[in-house]
Amino acid sequence: MITGTRKPMEEIRAMIAPFGRVLVAGCGTCVAECASGGEKEVALLASQLRMDAKLRKISLEVGEITLDRQCVYEFIDQLTPFLENYDAVLSLACGAGVQAVAEVFPQWVILPGLDTGFLGETREAGLWLENCRGCGECRLHLFAGVCPITRCAKRLFNGPCGGSRAGQCEVSPEVQCAWHLILERLERQGRMDCLEEIYPPCDWSRHQGRGPRKIQREDQRA
Amino acid sequence: MESDQQVHTVVFFCQQLDPQQDLHSRDLEREWGSGIRLFPMHCSGRVEALHLLMAVEQGADRVLLLTCAEGRCRYREGNLRARRRLEYARSLLEEIGIEPGRLELRMASSQSPRHIARILEPILREPWSHGPSPLSMGTD
Repeated sequence: MITGTRKPMEEIRAMIAPFGRVLVAGCGTCVAECASGGEKEVALLASQLRMDAKLRKISLEVGEITLDRQCVYEFIDQLTPFLENYDAVLSLACGAGVQAVAEVFPQWVILPGLDTGFLGETREAGLWLENCRGCGECRLHLFAGVCPITRCAKRLFNGPCGGSRAGQCEVSPEVQCAWHLILERLERQGRMDCLEEIYPPCDWSRHQGRGPRKIQREDQRA
Repeated sequence: MESDQQVHTVVFFCQQLDPQQDLHSRDLEREWGSGIRLFPMHCSGRVEALHLLMAVEQGADRVLLLTCAEGRCRYREGNLRARRRLEYARSLLEEIGIEPGRLELRMASSQSPRHIARILEPILREPWSHGPSPLSMGTD
């Protein structure tokens, strides 16, 4: 899941200031799961913007819509009948969604209402944790399903640094030591021999040194 | 009870507080007229920040969320969730310059009568410091 957090109201106010009719557009997938850009959050922000405009005696028309996804053309196209009625779209999607919508409607102003965060999981209600950096070379099978690149503050591939205390990282006592978790899990699985291997560092140039990444699969193309 | 200076109050309340809330709510509405709007909920934990914000947007001066006493929620922690949602809604109001104190949580006590009107009336008669909503200024 891609996470995001709503931008501060000051920033949103400044972005929408030139426009009199704004469509707040949510995305029903990742950012709905992390409670920042789904239907509820669209309604909350729209309500805030209407009240804010009234208090500041500004004429502002605010519309609301939530697409299932803002990163897929078939869903983005659902905006088509509504756009004529608005001067700008305030998107509560992740950066990928905002850009996809802007790509489909280059003549319209598409504003980002969220600051896109990280790839993460919902650990419990109201708690989202980063657990993937999208390095492009997944080795989770070697580390008992715990990513050292994301979850070890020092990004170590070959064992713990020795600075953890009671299973917590020395960088922050709120963070679990990734290597503590890896060792516990490997032991439980009877796979401690995985530690005998020497793992080379991640080759970032393979996937992140050539501009934006692309996946192209012929079997999926129309 | 109706007057021009009346505080427009919206009350969301847990209907577990009063088995006869339907009957007693009608009595309360008769007495307070358009000054009060009552919204019973199966549990106060059902409340969303959006309910509270919409109440303010639609003209409430004061929004009360009345929950069961601590430890008395039928669904264990609905009243605790309600408090967290109210705090969040308050922060959203504060962001746009509306006094967050317009949203209030009141927790019934374990000694409270199981009668919604008797629980609410003393609260409604308390002095109210915030005055009319800034959203209603210069309108009507």
